[in-house]
Amino acid sequence: MREFITGNQAVVRAAIRAGCNFFAGYPITPASSILTEFVKAFAGGRGVIVQTEDEIAAIGQCIGAAMAGAKALTASSGPGLSLYSENIGLAQMAETPLVIVDCQRMGPSTGGATATGEGDVLFARYVTGGGYPLPVLSAGDAETAYRLTFDAFNIAERYRTPVILLSSKDVALTRQTVDLDAVTPPALVERDSLTSGDGDGWEGPYAVGRPADIPRFAPLGGDTLVRVTGSIHDERGVLTNDRSKIQAKLTHLVEKIERNAEAMERFDADIDPGADTLIICYGGTEGAVREAVDTLRREGAGVSRLTLHTLWPIARKAIREAITPNVRRIVMPELNIGLYADALQGVVAPKRIESIRRYDGGLIAPETICEHLCEEAITR
Amino acid sequence: MTTLTQGEHSLLLADKQSMCYCPGCTHASVLERLGHTLDGMGVDPRRVCIVSDIGCVGTSDRYFDCHTFHGLHGRSITYAEGIKRVRPDTLVIVLIGDGGCGIGTAHLVHAARRNADIKILVFNNFNFGMTGGQASPTTFPGGATGTTPGGAVDRPMDICQTVIANGASHVARVSAMDKACSAFMEAALRAPGFALVDIWELCTAYYLPRNKLKPAMLDEFAQDLDMPMGLLRDAGRPVAMGASVATPAPTDKKAEAVTASLTLPWSGRREIWIAGSAGQRIRSAAGLLGEMATNGERYASQTDDFPITVRKGHSVSRLIMSDAPIRYLGCDHPDLLIVLSEDGVKRLGRLDALPASCHVMVDASLTLAGLPREPTRFNFHEIQKQVGAESAAWTILVSAILQLGWIDADALRAAASASFRGSYRDKNLAALEAGIALQNA
Repeated sequence: MREFITGNQAVVRAAIRAGCNFFAGYPITPASSILTEFVKAFAGGRGVIVQTEDEIAAIGQCIGAAMAGAKALTASSGPGLSLYSENIGLAQMAETPLVIVDCQRMGPSTGGATATGEGDVLFARYVTGGGYPLPVLSAGDAETAYRLTFDAFNIAERYRTPVILLSSKDVALTRQTVDLDAVTPPALVERDSLTSGDGDGWEGPYAVGRPADIPRFAPLGGDTLVRVTGSIHDERGVLTNDRSKIQAKLTHLVEKIERNAEAMERFDADIDPGADTLIICYGGTEGAVREAVDTLRREGAGVSRLTLHTLWPIARKAIREAITPNVRRIVMPELNIGLYADALQGVVAPKRIESIRRYDGGLIAPETICEHLCEEAITR
Repeated sequence: MTTLTQGEHSLLLADKQSMCYCPGCTHASVLERLGHTLDGMGVDPRRVCIVSDIGCVGTSDRYFDCHTFHGLHGRSITYAEGIKRVRPDTLVIVLIGDGGCGIGTAHLVHAARRNADIKILVFNNFNFGMTGGQASPTTFPGGATGTTPGGAVDRPMDICQTVIANGASHVARVSAMDKACSAFMEAALRAPGFALVDIWELCTAYYLPRNKLKPAMLDEFAQDLDMPMGLLRDAGRPVAMGASVATPAPTDKKAEAVTASLTLPWSGRREIWIAGSAGQRIRSAAGLLGEMATNGERYASQTDDFPITVRKGHSVSRLIMSDAPIRYLGCDHPDLLIVLSEDGVKRLGRLDALPASCHVMVDASLTLAGLPREPTRFNFHEIQKQVGAESAAWTILVSAILQLGWIDADALRAAASASFRGSYRDKNLAALEAGIALQNA
């Protein structure tokens, strides 16, 4: 059925279909309607919905719930992501499956609550101390937000990690025509379960074979006793100061993401094998890039488009494959100060990324991208 | 709660001598008593979860053979609440210090207010032991600490009254040296709803060396500070965890599915801006057309611009309708601009960049700067009087798209009838008729 709904509504629909049964959140523009949609969706006890005293409690309750076996989601905007920060580190260390939606808005601080922006693309990756990797996805319209919510849950469950799904004010609150029934979501992945054996009761809720393996999960309150801790711990969840165990745990946190990076790559590529120009985009610039690519091709230009839905880990394979032999120019429009272009510079080197930036709360128009390509071509 | 036979399994994995605490620190004895209390209650360890906060007491989860969770400073209350909501048959116990009650005061207050069914044991030793003996929110007046070498001056936080004032079910204060400490803990663990025991302790590493404090003096301090020992509240409130936001009975929206789908005759991409004031139901008007387009096998996108105060100031809706999926959500080249009020004029600013082809309809009282050509004028006040304030924007929008010949009245009527739902259906259909009449007039 075709519907006229917002990106936030699409996220909640997907979350419910993905089996999400716990939401805790605190109101903030432009994420509040995720909270209110969950109130409706979980009416009659179909899930647990909590409006908490702040964002710290929201993610705290989600982490507790997720470690007790729930599929949990919380949602906020940049200011709330700041308050999630410390707990995201806990979720990494405790290997908590959790989906966090960040409906980005303009500027730092309270910025522009009802204006769009995508300035959290680096912040999301580096949101917590320690520097360990964190999967980050980015949606630029309601349908993509719907699809990526399934992906976010699957990555969270499969790899036992918090996952951040980025949208922005214009995705979160813009009503769009979508037919969600026509979208085939990915098959759902559930966390591997650790069942009680006949040993001493400690089955090692953090035990892995190789570093990139994912430990099996047993819920708090279940029949297998588990220890969960945000402090450095061994395979049983017990504090350790054994250097080899510390090294093993922290290397595992890196490798379970980095070695599975290709499996987390979500992107949409429209490649012209003979293209001399590649436009890489994500989130709120994708629509304009699609329009610009059509225009440029009509004018005879050889141009490719790569839309990245996974921002972290960097979709290196997709990027490598999009840089076909004749590509001389790589252009990246962003609704921030050119943050992700900086991050990708090392990936495309020795080529250079030409950054197109807008951060006043407006969108980058297709014409702006076309003009950039034409003007720069003349000045060369 | 599932029970094991007493003595079959002890939750306690260490006696107080083998715990990590400093000689004389009362943490060890309280923890040992807690273990014995749980054993005595015959609880199934698989249905117990101990959530430890940060500080010396935060190292204690390892001494218990049950589910344990150790997280961030002051946030133990939040994890406990999340766990309890998912595992209502589990006894969830928080072990927190005075520092944790300070940094996590908001959680303490709101968990009490929600009557969260968690049991909080406060290991209150009046200073931060783990970080070197700094002042805590409960340091006694005059108490010398690393950060109050001349003696603390602030009033200590009354943890018990803080949660009582906010609805806690069961609250007690007891000295760690009091023989009744175990009984108070057991009563709290058995009490339904939010229960807290504020256990006053001795920190032999930092607080005792700097301050003259003997076990018997705790009672004196309690008296002086008007923070009495004993059971302070035991009035069970009904526990209603699971959903802390009241949820109405589910309504089945699917019954209201679109009855018929009509293919609207629009081709290409049409962009509309409607600018006015909050309360003029501009977003609703744009939304009605967007829904009609969606139900009419077309695509729509609606972006609204409004200040945070939604009942005051400007309201601008930008609507795109297209026969192809809308990829770029920007609405930069309006074919139609409707301006209803001065708030809208101010928000739009100068309109020099407006495409010359844009049809502009504006209330007769308003002046727009930089228009490429003369606008069509209407009397918004009169239309409001005729159809009501909440329908006027929609009426004008209807008359505008008819005037532009984007659709004929019969097709519009049929599409609206097929598309409109909910309690506003009749009102919106009536306003549509008014728009048709306005155009015919």
